[in-house]
Order: sequence, then C-alpha cells, then structure tokens
Amino acid sequence: MGGSVTVSTHARRSRVRVTGAASTAVRPVLEGPRSPARVLAAFSAGIYLEVRTDCEPSVIALITGEAARLPNSVLMATPLPHVTVGDDASVGDRGVELGSLSLGVRRWWDPAPALGPVDPLSLAGIVLDGPGRPGLAGNDAVELLASSCAQARLLGAVTAAERLVGLGPGLTPSGDDVLAGLLVTLRHLGAATGTERAVWLADWLAATVTFDARTRTTPISATLLHCAARGEASPEVTGVLRGIAGRQALEPALRRLHRLGHTSGADLAQGISIGLDSVRALSGRR
Amino acid sequence: MSDDLIQLRKGTYHDSVTLMRISRTLTEMPGVEVAMVAMATELNLAIVRDLGFEPPPAGPGDLLIAVRGGDPARAVEELDARLAARTAAGTTTAGEQPPRTTRSAARTPADLVLVSVPGEHAFCEAYDAVEAGLPVMIFSDGVPPAQERWLKELAEERGVLVMGPDCGTAVIAGVGLGFANVLRPGPVGLVAASGTGAQQVSCLLDWAEAGVSHIIGVGGRDLSAEVGGLSTMRALRLLDDDPATELVVLVGKPPDPEVARAVREVAAGMRTPVVEAMLPETDLTEAAARTLRALGRSVPEWPSWPGALRGEPRSVRGLYAGGTLCAEAAVLAGPGEFTDFGDDAYTRGRAHPMIDPTLRLEALSRVRADEVVLLDVVLGHVADPDPAASLAPAVARTPATVVVALVGSAGDPQDLHRQAAALRGAGAAVFVSNAEAARHARSLL
Amino acid sequence: MSLLSGPPRVITVGAGLLDEALAAQAVPTTPVAWRPPLPGTADALAKVLADPRRTAANELAVRRLTGARPYLVGLRRAAEVLPVGTFLHAGPPIEWERASGPMRGALIGAMLLEGLAGDEREAEAGLAAGAVALRPCHEHATVGPMAGVVSPSMWLLEVRDEEHGGTAYCSLNEGLGKVLRYGAYGPEVLDRLRWMDEVLGPVLAATLARTGPVDLRSLIAQALQMGDELHNRNRAATSLLLRELAPAVVEAAPAQAAQVLRFINGNDHFFLNAGMAAGKVSTDAARDIPGSSLVVAMARNGTDFGVQVSGLGGRWFTGPAGVPDGLYLGAYGPQDANPDIGDSTITETSGLGGFAMAAAPAIVRFVGGEVADAVRATRSMYEITLAEHPAYQIPGLGFRGTPVGIDVTLVARTGILPVVNTGIAGRVAGTGQVGAGLVEPPAQAFTSALIALAAE
Repeated sequence: MGGSVTVSTHARRSRVRVTGAASTAVRPVLEGPRSPARVLAAFSAGIYLEVRTDCEPSVIALITGEAARLPNSVLMATPLPHVTVGDDASVGDRGVELGSLSLGVRRWWDPAPALGPVDPLSLAGIVLDGPGRPGLAGNDAVELLASSCAQARLLGAVTAAERLVGLGPGLTPSGDDVLAGLLVTLRHLGAATGTERAVWLADWLAATVTFDARTRTTPISATLLHCAARGEASPEVTGVLRGIAGRQALEPALRRLHRLGHTSGADLAQGISIGLDSVRALSGRR
Repeated sequence: MSDDLIQLRKGTYHDSVTLMRISRTLTEMPGVEVAMVAMATELNLAIVRDLGFEPPPAGPGDLLIAVRGGDPARAVEELDARLAARTAAGTTTAGEQPPRTTRSAARTPADLVLVSVPGEHAFCEAYDAVEAGLPVMIFSDGVPPAQERWLKELAEERGVLVMGPDCGTAVIAGVGLGFANVLRPGPVGLVAASGTGAQQVSCLLDWAEAGVSHIIGVGGRDLSAEVGGLSTMRALRLLDDDPATELVVLVGKPPDPEVARAVREVAAGMRTPVVEAMLPETDLTEAAARTLRALGRSVPEWPSWPGALRGEPRSVRGLYAGGTLCAEAAVLAGPGEFTDFGDDAYTRGRAHPMIDPTLRLEALSRVRADEVVLLDVVLGHVADPDPAASLAPAVARTPATVVVALVGSAGDPQDLHRQAAALRGAGAAVFVSNAEAARHARSLL
Repeated sequence: MSLLSGPPRVITVGAGLLDEALAAQAVPTTPVAWRPPLPGTADALAKVLADPRRTAANELAVRRLTGARPYLVGLRRAAEVLPVGTFLHAGPPIEWERASGPMRGALIGAMLLEGLAGDEREAEAGLAAGAVALRPCHEHATVGPMAGVVSPSMWLLEVRDEEHGGTAYCSLNEGLGKVLRYGAYGPEVLDRLRWMDEVLGPVLAATLARTGPVDLRSLIAQALQMGDELHNRNRAATSLLLRELAPAVVEAAPAQAAQVLRFINGNDHFFLNAGMAAGKVSTDAARDIPGSSLVVAMARNGTDFGVQVSGLGGRWFTGPAGVPDGLYLGAYGPQDANPDIGDSTITETSGLGGFAMAAAPAIVRFVGGEVADAVRATRSMYEITLAEHPAYQIPGLGFRGTPVGIDVTLVARTGILPVVNTGIAGRVAGTGQVGAGLVEPPAQAFTSALIALAAE
C-alpha cells in the first residue's frame, strides 16, 4: 500500500523513501539543483517548507489527503513525518529531503487545467451563493476592485489590489485570497470565453500583486499569489470554475470551496465572483 | 547438506505476481537452492514435481510451498514475514473487512476499476464495474473475445469505458495505471491499442516537453472485426470532450478495414484534431514526431549514447519484453531472430519480463559473438525497480554487441539517467527511441 | 463528472503490485481481497452473469422479498392445507430409508399422535411401507423447525403477505427439551401435542379473531433492535407478541388464559414459528422469476441440505447436511449431534438469523465468543447478498439494513457460505435437543444450482 521502505545507504544513517504526487508548479524547484530549505509551519495535514531560491513557488507544502491541494503542494502517499518549525530540509535534485525522509515524485498534476471553450452567454444566469461569509465583506477596497474590474478601469483595479495584498489576519490573509480567486478567474474564464480584456486585466493585476508580495504578506500567501498570478489554483477553486463553465455541478463544488480554512474558501469565492462579474461585463466589449 | 521442505496451506490465496516476487526473494537467500511459493494449480504442481518434490494432493485454492536448501525453515519464516506484511497492508480501518468482489467494493465512492485477476476470472470483476457504471481497465489477458465483445456492448449501454482486456498501460489525469510512466501533464491525449507502443510515444513526447493529458488503452483486439472498435470510439469521444486535450493521437496495430472506417468517421466529427499513427506504416518514433509537428513544435534529436562494438556481428537477436516494441524492431532491424518474452507462452506461471528478468537473462547468456543483441528496457510504474542492476552485469559478460532501447521518462522512479549510465558502463549502446535502436543495430551488420 | 476530469479513485482487484503502484502515486485505492471462485464454477459464472435477464430479474426478486408485508392472520388445522394421507417434513424431499434419527422420531411421533399406529414398532413399519406420503413443507407453502413434521391434526399459524397476497404456514412451537421437532415422541411429548391440539390452537385462533392481523414485519424490526436475531434468539419477539395478544387471550378464553399465557411465557422461541412463516411468505413472493439467481429457500432434512433458486422453479439442489459446531447441553457432545436439520434457515434466507448476528450480542458465543465475531459474521454476509433490508436494521451497525437476498453467483465467486444459526438435534431418535450453534452449508448445493442456472 505504498508503504515506506527503509533503505540503508550507509552503515549509520538510514533513509526512508516515500513518494507522492506533486503540482507541476513546484517542478522547477524540485528538479533544479538541491537548495537548502527549512520548516516554516507544521500542521496535522500539512508541512510548509521555505526554500532558499529565487524561483516561485518558494514555499512548498507537503500535504496529506485531508488537506486542500494547494497549487504549491506535494500530496504524500504516506503519513507526514513529525517535524518542528525551523527544522532543516533540502529541496531539489528530483526530490525533498526532510529529517530521515527522502521524498520522490511519482505523479504530476496540473494546477492550472484549461477550461475549454465557454460561450459567454451561458454565464448570464450563474449565481455564486455559498454558506460562508467572506472576511472582507463590505470592505471599500474590495468594492473598488469589483467595480474597477467590471469596467476594465486599470488604475482603480491596481490601486485596490495594492491595498488588499496582505490585508487581514492569518496564514493567508483575506485580501490575498480575494485577489487569488480573482486572478485565476480572470485568466481562465477570460481565455475560455475569448474575453481578451479580462486576460489583459489579469496580466496587470498579476504584475501588481507579485511585485512586492514577498515583503507585503506572509511567505505562504506570497507564494500562493505568485501561483494565482500564473493561473494556478487548488482543485477546489478549479472545480468552481469548471462548474461555472458547465463542466460539472456548480453547487457541490462551491460547497467544497467554502469548507476551506477559516474564511479562505469564502474569500476565494468572493474573488471568483468578482472575476465572473468582470468577465460577464467585459465579454461584450472589444 | 540440503533438505527438501514441502508445505500445503489449504484455502490460502495470494495473487501470482506477489508470490513470484516472494519466490524470487527466497531463492536469493543464502543457502537456498530452490524456492517456489505458488497456488497449487495443475501447472504449478507439475513444476514442483519436475523440481523433484513430491507435492501432496492439492487444488488451485491452496498455497503450495516448496523449498530446497540448507535451512528451509528459515525461508518459510521469511515467507511468513512477507505475507504478514502484505496482509497488514491490505487491512482497512478497524473492524472493516476488505471487500471480496468488485461489486462489494463499488459501494464505496470510486471512479475506476483496475482488474488484474487471472484472465478466466476477469469477466466477473469487469462486469461488476460496468454494471455499477464505473469505467474499467482490464489488465488481465486471456479473456475470450466473445466476453470482450459482450462487456463492451454492455458498456455502450451503460455509457462507460472499457480499457482492455490485455490493456497494460493507461494514464488518467496523470495517474499511471499498470505499466505507465511518470509523465508531465500536457496537451496530447493518446488512444492506444498497444501498451508499450503508448509508453514509447508518451515518453518521447515527455522528452520533447510536450506532455500528455491521458493515455486511454483499449486492448490489442479492440480494432478487430469481432470487437468493432467500441472502446476506441468511446475513447476518442471522451478525449474530444476533455478541455485538457488539444490533440488526439491514435496508436495501434492495423485495424480491420471496416472498423477503421467507423473509427475515422468518429475522428472526422471531432473538434479536436486527430493524428493517426498505425504500425507498421508509421513507427512509434515517427508517431511522436508527427504529433509534435501537429502541435507546431520542433522535433528534438532523441538522446542516445554509443556502446562498444564486439566481434563481427552478422545477425540481430531481438530479446524483447514489449510486444509492440518487438514487432517494430523486427520490421526495422531487418533479418534476425526476435523473441517477445511478454508473450503468453513465456508468462504462464511467471511474472511479466518487465518485472522478472530471469528468462531474458538466460537468453542473453546464450547469445553468440557474431550477433547484435537488441533489447528493450521499459521503465515506469510497476516495472522492475532497477532493471540495470541485473542486466548490466549480463551485458558486460556477453561476447555480443548490445543495443538497448531504453523506454522511459526523466521522471520515472528508476532514474532513466542512472539506468542509461549503468548500461553504457557495461558496454551497451543506449537509445530512448526503439526505432533508432533498431536501425542502429541493423547498421552494425 | 467525466472520468478524465481529475485523478481517479481506483478499485483494484488482482495483483497487489498494481495497487502498490497507485498508492505510491498518492491515489486512493480500494483493494478487493479477491480469490478464485469455487472450483468448477468459472464458466457457469460468466454465463450466468451475462444472462441479459439477470439484473432486472434479481432486482424484481429482491424487491418482492424485501417488500413483503407479512401479517399473522389466524390459525388453521393442518388437515385444511395437507393433501390426504400426507405428512410434511423439513428440508428437501427424503424417503424413510434415508431419514435421520430425529426425522424418524418425529414421524413416529406423528403416526402415534394421529392414531395411525399403536406403538413405535408399528409406526416404523407403517412408515417404511409408505403408509403416509412424505412431502417437503416448502412445497406446500409451509415451513417447520427442526424435523418440521406436520400431520393433519396439528394447528398451523397462517401468515399473509399483504403486499403480494401470498400465504404461508408454520406449526406451533412446542418449547425446548424433549419435543417432537427434535425427534422425541415419548408420552410427555404426545401429551403436550394433544394439549396444543385441544387448548392452545383453539384459544389462539379465537384470540387472533379478536386482535385482527398482527404486523410481523414491524414486530421483527423492533425485536432486532432489542437484541434478537430471530433464529437462535427470539426472546424479545416472543415478549412483544405476548404483549400484543395477552388481553385478547383473556377475553377469548378466560378459563384457559392462564395456562396458555404461561405456556407462551415459558418458551423464548414461541415467536420463531411465526417469524419463519413470515420469512416463507416473503421468499415465496420472490419465486419463479426467470433468470434470477436469488436463493428463495435453504432447508435441511437431517440428511441433505437443499437450496432453491428463484429462476429455477421448484428444483432442489442438495449437498450433505453438516454437523453444527456449537455449545452442547449438559453432558452431550458433538458425537451425539445429528447433521443439520430444519426449515428454520428460512430466517437466514430472508435476512435474519445468522445474517443478523450483529444485532444479537447476547448470543455471540455461538459464533466464537466475541461481539466482534458477530459483527464480522453479519458483515461478511453483505458480500453474498443483493440488498440491505429496508425495514430490518441493526443498531450496532449504524442502523444499516440486514444483508438480504443470497445470490448463488456471489457465493460461488467469494466462496463465502451463508452463516446459519441453528439448534442441534440428538442423532438418536427420541433424544431431543442436545445443543445450539452454527452450521456451514455444503458449497455444492449452491454451485450445482449455479451450474443449472447456466444451463437454462
């Protein structure tokens, strides 16, 4: 059952080989030369490693099946090891070394799957109602972001985005989640409906939020913004986009998204909703 | 001093691949001359008798253990430890018993069924899958054609996909099923009537950084008149509806003309372009190249590493594990003697040569100095975790020139570069393209 | 969602290596603990599974089996049900020559009860000479526990299926110890039968005329939640029935009410016979559906174990009855036990008894001693049944329905045989009950039925 195998490489040290499935977003870091890393945070369903590298994502999540499949994650086939924050690790040369574990990748998954062509007219009646309340409901910057995007007003959108980066408490502040949801929606739904203005907007917003994300928000959230800027998201987000595209049932996908984190799911859904409104508004225009 | 030990365990069942791997491990234990652990089928009883044991009366539901060596009891201890480890791994959450049929397993949420029971029993499990509305991959071979046709007709009614029988390779959304490689996700969807054919094409695409969305295996008989291409046509439609797939490639052996017409009709009605690459007109490497051109990408030079020339080769000796690779090589390498060790005739009572190298190593030890040995080494999931470990020493020992087609991706667990280095170190020329390997072998004559 | 929209969760059946390769890719798998089917059944299995009628036939059969609504409606003299000159017996057909000790004992007792013989020797001679015809209960809409002998003067419980309109009968339970159904025929046995004939039967008939039909489906469902499995434990069901009937017994026969109620109260298995008739009327509703591989009867006559299958009409498929493995009364031991006997396996056939073992922790010692063994017994029966009973639920399994509707194809595929709870009769005629326990049916009864189905 994919059990770990203990392999004695040296007389004194024995390494445990484990395997997993990785997002292709982390492939450049995993297949690059070996770089030092350290444990940034450790939870029951995930361990975050910060890698000393200029590549993004620079934070890699090692997760179990219970966790959200973040776009920077490696889903482990075996239980997570016991580690403490600050522990040394290394990433690269086809794997991850953490404590006595040697992790190799046996499967790659695409965190930015294409939606396929979508008729913009089919988006008309879609309502994104979910059970969760976003952390920034009623916030001015969010309102500004929504209205500016719907009218393709770049200055307003960029101003709002700058105010939102890092806004809110927690590992992934609400402002970042809203922006992430918006970025992937503009990019994927924009491409799927042939709405060039939406993709153009996504490019500008991506450049804005990634410019100084590493200094403006938590390292984990900064990495996720970099991913979102490239259209990379977790399957929970992708599932909602697929639902909007009519490729799967929307309501259960929304429910799954809303279950994420404390307000993360609702925040991402808010971003998706802004993105959907923008694509709807912009798809008529050339 | 050596003792014979023979034991029978009534009503204890383990699958043959597991038992063969354990038998191999026991045989490699110091002091053990022969070890065979197998279900007591007629065939296995005969083998044990040939080895000079006297097995007690037994049936195919009983586990037969035969060990000859200095301390056979130790081998049995090792056997018990390994079987116990397997049983522990198979136990589900506390108090739950594992399901005994696919029908029962289908009560828990699932998306696909992978059947690899012996061919004469595969029908029931595949039937359960189709009946439960689940797509099924039948890895087993030896399923009668009438059963295949019947299953595929039922699958049409239920709207599900049947891959196989005798489907060795599939990749669904990156998940490798059976003999498959660790591939980067990408725009190409493959429909393949041949497992190793699909592996070769997908690995070359991976080399070219093109990536694969899915590989849907259909089984070697799907395009025959009797089966009528039902799975091929369903696979084409599935890929046409898949947003991740931008180009579909159809790889296989020549279809029945009537079936080919029906398949082409489906392909013509698709939004997604289809590249057809049927053997023998199109070799597998050419199929990959044609795919890359259709994607608007350039075709790279396929990696290869030169080897030592030994003696004066006069003929080619093909020692293959992959059936399609063997057939392709036989066409391209010209006259010679080609053996497909993956054929039923060689796999009765032992694991596939991609897992168990014994027969090929034996064959390799018998080749002559005036031959070029052409062989395939297939990497990926399920395959031998380190094929070069046993093959490289045999290559180094043989008086013949050796050319290896190394079919694998850079992401495979065996580490393709390490395998290539070990084989080259032993004197073999190594090619990632089987067609190029075959042409090279021919050029040496 | 389409197969291709994401990484699949995979059911793996066969080589462990293929499952391991998936698990290493962090793909969730459900491995099947597969083993080859029972010897000689591979071809028949493929043929029967491919029968285009089968799926719909089994759905219909199991819907009728689990949808039956059995009501206890009254009592009838066996003479009204029996052909003239006939005794009924448990299990598949059997002749005097092959009959076991307890079966012979019960037949002798019935000869004496009916006045067809003056003593034991005369009764034996008469039976050997074919003085009465011997027919299986099952062929006359009847079931009988243990020897299951029914003679004309006996009273039968009458159960109607209000859903499908069928009727089934079962004799009255005599209690434990030395009783006719275990092959005892001494004076105290015959005296009790005469009292049942003269007092118990008429009083219960009058009682049911007052209460109107009693809903057995709901009574069984309640008893399951009170720790009965309705074969070897009927304590709750008997109590519930007694509560239902008591006032009407008093009204119907004030003079005899006390002895009747005392009799029922003294016999924890009084309900068994009503439950068996309920099982019979339900399984009969599922009979004769062409193409169906559902088992509609399992029954033993002390010599043979027989099954009948819905798609195969009234044909019996038999194998030698096994000796039960269980707990023995007093000084009795396995050497005193007769091979398995009785129609009470109708409870297992209808999703109760051994199949509902997890509902009856009080009697887990019959299945190995631990509650976990009882749970395992029930869980394993889901592997060979077509459905979960909509009304009969097991609290300890999260109110999951009991496994119901044995499919001969699943028995052949898994090699798992039905778990049967049973009483154990003494092998010598006249001994009576010597214990209770579990018995394993002969596989060949199921495989021969499967092969016959393949030849249809």
